[in-house]
Amino acid sequence: MEPLDQSVWELGPIVIALLMGFLFGFALDKGGMTRYHKIVNVFRFTDLAVLKFMMSAMVTGMVGIYLLVWAGEVELTAITPTVPLKNFVGGLLFGVGMALVGMCPGTMISGAARGQLDYLIPGFGGFLTGALLYGFLYPTITDLFDGLKDYGNTKLPELWDLSPVLTVLVFAEAILLLLYLIHRLNLRRKDRLAAES
Amino acid sequence: MRTVIAYLRRDLWSPYVAGALLGLVAVLTLWSTTRLDDMPARMPGASGSFQNLAAYLGQELTSTQKVLVEGGAPIIVPREGLEEQFVYFAFTMPRGITWQVWMIIGVFLGALASALLSGGFRISVMPHTTQWQTVFGPQPWKRWALVFVGGIILQIAAGVAGGCTSGLAISGGVQLTPAAFLFIPGMFISGIATALLVYRRRY
Repeated sequence: MEPLDQSVWELGPIVIALLMGFLFGFALDKGGMTRYHKIVNVFRFTDLAVLKFMMSAMVTGMVGIYLLVWAGEVELTAITPTVPLKNFVGGLLFGVGMALVGMCPGTMISGAARGQLDYLIPGFGGFLTGALLYGFLYPTITDLFDGLKDYGNTKLPELWDLSPVLTVLVFAEAILLLLYLIHRLNLRRKDRLAAES
Repeated sequence: MRTVIAYLRRDLWSPYVAGALLGLVAVLTLWSTTRLDDMPARMPGASGSFQNLAAYLGQELTSTQKVLVEGGAPIIVPREGLEEQFVYFAFTMPRGITWQVWMIIGVFLGALASALLSGGFRISVMPHTTQWQTVFGPQPWKRWALVFVGGIILQIAAGVAGGCTSGLAISGGVQLTPAAFLFIPGMFISGIATALLVYRRRY
């Protein structure tokens, strides 16, 4: 039982990883996701940039990826398995951490790049400690969620037997409508604040 | 060209534009990694790379060297009682400078470039906003202690859920996986509840 080492040292994959990561980090910083208050305040409804950022990414990515799928260019294999209770309970725990400290894994890394030492030192250290703890707790957590229904790498159109085209259209339009409503709401609030001051 | 440079130097973009760029990155990541040989297709993600890095220490802590045959070379065996943990650190999420680790190095460089271009790069030990200081006080150690604990919570949560904001919410959401649409409401429900508890009336 020789332990594995999954290091990648070939140039091609490294260049793609660095380039995609670079654009990813650039977008996170320009979107304001590297600031503590931006992340925390989405949960207080006083700054909805996180919501706008996420939903905009979702629409763009969804349409782009499904267009590539229909063109036969890509297959959807890089997917998190759906185990409903685990995804939801994990989300619940995740929200607590995010609202407390105003960061998540990707924004911790990009926040550290702004020179914020609280991201770089206790942030990075905390995530690595969490990763180590997760490995030690892995058998316990597996037992805890044992016997749950695992839908595997399913997608909504497959699960509910819907037309993928229709599902993408409905989701994309629903997100755009929600974005529009949020945008309007924000403008009205700004008007009100301006009138009060 | 001058307009482009001026835009790149801006501190903040419209969240719609920045978000669209992230969506595009997800599409390009899947498309370009599909074209690589000897590697499965990938989507952007961050939390998994911390598991790969922690596995260096995890493997050390859960294994020991043993000489099974007299005079033979020592081999690595799991420590007693930690067999399952060893399997996790050695095979499930093995150590290595993986593709994902290279990606978060890219994330760091991209955010650094953005901050240097906008002049937002500044060494600081805690948020300068009055928001943090009003609620938690001006002492840096409180911020550092909370961030450390928060990091542990976030990483364990990402492990349970199967990904984080990027690897599950965005990358999963754009592929229409049910997992993402279970994770996102969970994250917002508890996030709102936590923010209510922490900030109510204090800021």
